[in-house]
Amino acid sequence: MRLFWSFTRQSFHSSAIYRFDFWLQLFSVFLMMYSVFWIWTILYHQRPGAFGISLEQMITYGVLGMALDTIFHPGRGPQMYIAQQIRSGAIDTDLMKPLDFHLHMLARHFGETLFRFSTLALPSLIIGYLFLDLQLPAGWAQGLLFVISLLLGFMVLFSLNFLLGLLAVVTLDIRSITWAYNGIVRFFAGQMVPLWVFPGFIGALAAVLPFKSIFYIPLSIYIGRLSGSEAWQAIGFQLVWICVLIPLGRLAWGRIHSRLVVQGG
Amino acid sequence: MDTLRIYLKLIGISMRSRLQYRADFVTGIISVIVLNAVNLTLIGILVNRFVHLNGWGLWEMVFLYSFWVMSHSLYSLLFWHFNTMEDHIVQGTFDQFLLRPIGTLVQFLGREIQYIGIGDVIVGATGLTLAYSHLHLDWGIYEYTWLVVSVLSGTLVETAIAWIISSLSFWTTRSMSAFFVMMRLNALTQQYPIDIFGTWFRVVVTGLIPVAFINYYPSLLLLGKTEQAGSWGWLGMMSPVVAVLLLGIALLVWNRALRRYSSTGS
Repeated sequence: MRLFWSFTRQSFHSSAIYRFDFWLQLFSVFLMMYSVFWIWTILYHQRPGAFGISLEQMITYGVLGMALDTIFHPGRGPQMYIAQQIRSGAIDTDLMKPLDFHLHMLARHFGETLFRFSTLALPSLIIGYLFLDLQLPAGWAQGLLFVISLLLGFMVLFSLNFLLGLLAVVTLDIRSITWAYNGIVRFFAGQMVPLWVFPGFIGALAAVLPFKSIFYIPLSIYIGRLSGSEAWQAIGFQLVWICVLIPLGRLAWGRIHSRLVVQGG
Repeated sequence: MDTLRIYLKLIGISMRSRLQYRADFVTGIISVIVLNAVNLTLIGILVNRFVHLNGWGLWEMVFLYSFWVMSHSLYSLLFWHFNTMEDHIVQGTFDQFLLRPIGTLVQFLGREIQYIGIGDVIVGATGLTLAYSHLHLDWGIYEYTWLVVSVLSGTLVETAIAWIISSLSFWTTRSMSAFFVMMRLNALTQQYPIDIFGTWFRVVVTGLIPVAFINYYPSLLLLGKTEQAGSWGWLGMMSPVVAVLLLGIALLVWNRALRRYSSTGS
């Protein structure tokens, strides 16, 4: 655990310099929460109670989704770090560390996520609560389940990002692939539009892919769309994917590590 | 004229150096198309399920979106690297543009061409064509001319805003977050008709950071929605005026920034 804290502390140190930057970031999160608030307000005005969900629940889903976007945006994460280290050739310093690479990436990314959660997501949630009708979870039990599924969602996203990062080792550059990747992940994760709105085939596809673990499951638990045994089933779904993705990532890293060529220096 | 010749020459060099990486070129363009397809699918699902969004039907939304992409494509081809100004300033590499005996701006702009813009051209043109036929539009020469004029104005509006923000980094050294705010505002006006976001938002994207002139106001005019927009409708004609005004402001800020510049020396 000390390892995880040290990366959080480091993030604080390196970001504390740019204060103006911080306010602008907070402002852009507010902008997204504000816009999603209006989109659902207008749509629900046209069709009240759509999909058996109240406007309050839908707004909470949307605003929470935008606030959590600050920590779960797939454009940030271990794949960016790996790609950067590969490009500059500095990846050898990571390999020399007396630390398992996969664990190192997890600790580093968890530290950064915790940092961004406390400095960006938390203030955004408070703003959302005060100004944009963001509601509290239905009860203590529901809140606890939400936190658990959020942590599991983090693990799923981390594992997917790690795999993408390994692609950077093979192809040397993933910058352009990441745009398509980000779009697809956010779409199937239900970051903006929840999965119950998806029609037929797309809905069925989204239901089995791992991406819904990232936003849809935690957010649905939070607003009470998934509760009781349904919530536990969803958490089980997340666990299954974690059990698939972590060994996959470690296995892939093992294979790539043995044939890694480092450029430059 | 000399400046233009030098610029074209520089762009030619950048293009050739970019084309060295064929694989990257292809994946980049495919990525852009996939990203836009995903965005449009999301909009499509929403509008389909709720029939319309504040009076905007599916294909009108596609038109709005594609119009923005079309304007953006030229910006992203030729001017996208205003984003990288802060790196040059932080790392002190901006000095190189001041040392050579050609215009600073020409050198900076000629440095790079972002081929990703070709993906935007494909997406924008396809979207506009599809929307045109689904909306049963029947344009004459006047509408087509206006389309071209307002697409180009949109490009200039986005370019001028990026230029101003990147000039500000001469004072603040950091401009990335300001670019993020602009990108967010851009993404919102691109994907949704701004009339759903309430008055103050509309005032901001009309008067303060006028990204609504990239696609929203010209689309009102071309889709015959100016009356629905009430007292805001006349702004549909104003894109070119806004573009010229903004470019003037950008030029002023840029000149001040250059005069202020002192190298970081690192």
